[in-house]
Amino acid sequence: MSSTVQQRPLPVPDAQSAGYWNAASRHELALARCGQCHMFAHPPGAVCCACGSIEPAFEWMKLSGKGRIRSWSVVRQALLPGFADLVPYVTVDVELEEQPNLRIIGRLLDGIEAPLVPGAPVAVCFEDIAPDVAVPAFRLAAG
Amino acid sequence: MSAFPARNKAALAGFAQSPVQRHAPMTLGAITIATVREAVADAGLEVSEIDGLITTPLFPSLGSHAAEDGIALVTTNWLAQRMGIVPVYQENPQGQLPGAVAMAVNAIHAGAAKNVVVYRALHNPGGSYHQNDAPKASGRDQWVMPQGHHGPIAAIALAWNEYAQRYGAGEDALAPIAIEARKNGARLPWSYWKDKPLALEQYLAAPFINDPIRMFDCDIPVDGAAAFVITSAERARDMPHRPVYISAYSDILPRRFGLAHHWPYDEIMELGALGLERLCQRAEIRLSDIDHSQIYDGFSPLSLFWIELLGLAPRGEAHRFIAQGGIDSDSPDGKAVLASGGSLGNGRMHGTPQMIECYLQLARRAGERQRDVKLALACQGVPNMGGSVLYSADAY
Repeated sequence: MSSTVQQRPLPVPDAQSAGYWNAASRHELALARCGQCHMFAHPPGAVCCACGSIEPAFEWMKLSGKGRIRSWSVVRQALLPGFADLVPYVTVDVELEEQPNLRIIGRLLDGIEAPLVPGAPVAVCFEDIAPDVAVPAFRLAAG
Repeated sequence: MSAFPARNKAALAGFAQSPVQRHAPMTLGAITIATVREAVADAGLEVSEIDGLITTPLFPSLGSHAAEDGIALVTTNWLAQRMGIVPVYQENPQGQLPGAVAMAVNAIHAGAAKNVVVYRALHNPGGSYHQNDAPKASGRDQWVMPQGHHGPIAAIALAWNEYAQRYGAGEDALAPIAIEARKNGARLPWSYWKDKPLALEQYLAAPFINDPIRMFDCDIPVDGAAAFVITSAERARDMPHRPVYISAYSDILPRRFGLAHHWPYDEIMELGALGLERLCQRAEIRLSDIDHSQIYDGFSPLSLFWIELLGLAPRGEAHRFIAQGGIDSDSPDGKAVLASGGSLGNGRMHGTPQMIECYLQLARRAGERQRDVKLALACQGVPNMGGSVLYSADAY
């Protein structure tokens, strides 16, 4: 029986995402903000969905990494490579404090027994999944 | 004259449903040919009289499976070649069944085709349906897959838990949906779950997939096909069965741009309500005029969302409504919204059970299950990503 730990899916940074993954590798959460209307867009699209600009000139802004839980789930089946040893784990749908309804999904690393309620405060943390590749995740935070 | 010129101008004239099987011995293409032939014969037509073919060919697996035409999906091109049909109108929209029905209505009303077959064929590839072995995540996937979020069950789990927490729905709140769908599906001759109703103990004993979603909250992948003949209201009146008129439709609505597999509950409800509002405007009815609504249930929370959108229970109250027997098809006071058996009670057929139930009831072909209904609604999918079609016994 092989003891090889499978690699989790690695992101493929592109023109729309490189800033996110570069920041994540430094353990910073940065999201794209429209250079015209200054609204965050996650993910950043081809145009700004907030103001409609076709030249959004997205800028990568470092965020506090703080937010509140809108919802959560316990993942019991590993449908992706590299997660078989991690199930069961919790994913959270987090609304970040910088903008209403600015939402990001990631793992919550406090275990499946952690007491969760809607609105619970969380803070970003990072999982290093390969050299120079880190993925944003969350931990419960103080009020 | 209705504000919607195509109102009741096209009609269902016949249908067929293949056996719904976990793994069929025939290929999906072969099943589809047999089913379309049967539907055409049911309408009293010859295959040579079919001049339009429409399907939504989506093979809704996110797993590492080949999407081969004739095996995992069946496009109109594949079907036309093998049935010897040269359609004057064929379309393969990427949406859901209501969009395919809408195209048939529009084509017939415009005179682009006379007799259209709308079909839906679905395949179970074997192995894990959504298991994905991709070593890399590019494009939209990179925002969720490295993070450990993947697939529609994960998406509905987040949407449902937001509802459950907000409105106080307990861990067993969805049980009446799965049990009611399986009860009705167990009575259908073609259902995968024929003669296999679901007991509460079985439901609760099944594992969680994505808490709070349990196994029986998810429809089972199957091989199966359904086909419908849609023609003009005038021609339908000369065909063997009582015509069932298509009064109005609401197609898929444009989602807000966001993360993959993120279906925020509030967006589902906002856009779902808009879809039904448009349908009512086209049909010139109120939701309360509909006497047989058939809701979608591919994942059981979707049924609660539809119940509230249809106004059968106030927002946030559907979980209490169903707990009190509100959807019991055997109760004179129950709203039989899952009389079709749905996807949970038939297998993953993506909206054909609801459409068949509307057709059979209004054509008065439902046998022992016949109800005295005039206006029926077939709902499909996540409310903002599926749509709905209103059928009528009368060309009002």
